[in-house]
Amino acid sequence: MAVPTKKIKAGFFHSFMFGVILAILFPLLWMVLVSIRPADQVFGASLFFSTSFSLESYKQVFEQRPLGVWMMNTAVVSILQTAGQVMIAIFAAFAFSYFRFPGRDVLFYFVLVTMIVPLQALMVPTYLIVDTMGWLNSFAAVIVPTLASGYAIFLMRQFFLQVPKELTEAAKMDGCGPLRILRNIYLPVSIPAITALSAILFVTNWNEYYWPLLVLTDEMKQVLPVAITSFTNEGIVDWGPTMAVATLTVLPVMVLYFFLQKNFVESFSQSGLK
Amino acid sequence: MNGMKPQKSFAHVPTDGANTAGGSSVFGGQAPSHKKWLTGIKENIWAYVFLAPALLLFGIFFVYPFVYSSYLSFMDWNLYNDAKEFVGLANYQALFGDPVFWKAALNTGLYVIGTVPVSMILALGLAILVEKAGKLKEFYRFLLFIPVVASIAVVGIIWSLLYSPAGGFINQMLALIGIQGPNWLNDPKFALVSLMIIGIWSAVGYNMVLYIAGLKGIDPQLYEAAELDGASGWQQFWKITVPQLSPVSFFVFIISIFNSFQVFSTIHIMTQGGPNNATNVVIYQMYQEAFQFFNIGKASALTFVIFCAVLLLTVVFIRSTQRNVHYE
Repeated sequence: MAVPTKKIKAGFFHSFMFGVILAILFPLLWMVLVSIRPADQVFGASLFFSTSFSLESYKQVFEQRPLGVWMMNTAVVSILQTAGQVMIAIFAAFAFSYFRFPGRDVLFYFVLVTMIVPLQALMVPTYLIVDTMGWLNSFAAVIVPTLASGYAIFLMRQFFLQVPKELTEAAKMDGCGPLRILRNIYLPVSIPAITALSAILFVTNWNEYYWPLLVLTDEMKQVLPVAITSFTNEGIVDWGPTMAVATLTVLPVMVLYFFLQKNFVESFSQSGLK
Repeated sequence: MNGMKPQKSFAHVPTDGANTAGGSSVFGGQAPSHKKWLTGIKENIWAYVFLAPALLLFGIFFVYPFVYSSYLSFMDWNLYNDAKEFVGLANYQALFGDPVFWKAALNTGLYVIGTVPVSMILALGLAILVEKAGKLKEFYRFLLFIPVVASIAVVGIIWSLLYSPAGGFINQMLALIGIQGPNWLNDPKFALVSLMIIGIWSAVGYNMVLYIAGLKGIDPQLYEAAELDGASGWQQFWKITVPQLSPVSFFVFIISIFNSFQVFSTIHIMTQGGPNNATNVVIYQMYQEAFQFFNIGKASALTFVIFCAVLLLTVVFIRSTQRNVHYE
């Protein structure tokens, strides 16, 4: 008697969870559904049950808009940005975790402050600096101002603090300099952490909206999250193609998330910042 | 999730992991020889070299913008004209005399108050459910975290369609049960709430993950003991789960406040601060002043005000951490 009740309870619980998850993921499912329906069936609840399938929307955006260019732009910008952020963070975090030098704590507090102050708050002066350097409408405008990431430095330092001290002590006895200790001990031990951090930074950079919006105005220079909003500024919105671009914007990030999910979620939660 | 407690990192930051490189000569138990002392200096130079790129960039893109915008906040400048005219406190007077600023400040507060508690409660509920899910735990967590990873621009676009007054999904569903849905984004009564719903939706998964980590850190013996004493599930929740999670809740609370304080993208994509400033917030007003009205002086005054507000909030939080939250 006890076993069936338990099973019914579990069944009820999991159906409930399924319902909750479906409700929460609904907007994203809707996006995919709208993108694969014929143009005349975009609105309405019948969409959910409709069986008609069409890749017309995808064809249309690929033919009429520089979608390939946007994807390339987004990929190039976010890869360069991520690589730069990770490299700078590795060196800074190594300095904070391996050395004990005058001013270390003050400087680290300073890094924390940069994490807390929203960068959006500094968009006006930063825009003016980028303008003065003549970087508007170039990828440098997107990449360079975000290269020093307090968030990346903070997380990387957390990882480096877990490197066993016996290892570094032994290496020092053998006469290893700091660069070799970084390369031969800190980096190999931290590879999973660095992978996770890179993935998170890549996703954040790929999704970046407000800053590229300000500094990349040329259509051929745009990145996907900004380009997609131009679809809804056209009076009558053509929802099929819009959702096709939306789906393509989210897809790479979802694939990455799928493969690195465990590291991803855990590192996210250690940091406190999106 | 190794039962880590994220807020620890904030509280203990500069003291843990104190390292030994430079300090070895001090703590080595022998008199520091000249050579060791020199090595210390040499190694410290390496530390500054490693920090240089980060500090240089922070200097140019964090410290300098702050100083520069403080300077500009005393100037009258329209961006396209080279001439900047010193106007004293006129920009601050204009800002504080502008009803839009007070409206935006109020909306920012409402947005924070409207999103933070709801997203925290939902996140805690989901975290508890996910923890009970046995083998499917990881899978549920994976799915519920997906909205966090989605681009906020895309999220804004999708919700524009869902909120669309005529054929949008939400109003169609409401019509099925005989309710005529409002014009969500164009009705001053509903526009801000519509944005809050999106804010909650995209924050819940993130807060949930933090709560799951917190739940894993609770000693199961506490529940076993309560079980023996005959405490109900509800009592266990209030007497064990909630107090044990208080450091995590505090952390989630602060992060959520800072994140919702920064809301910009959904506003820019969906309402542009309208209708009639019903969804204007301070960050968005700053954007408008600078990039739509080209009033750099006033925008810079607002930048300075926001900066001070954030720092003040941070100081308040740090103080209350030191006083109220017990870590162990």
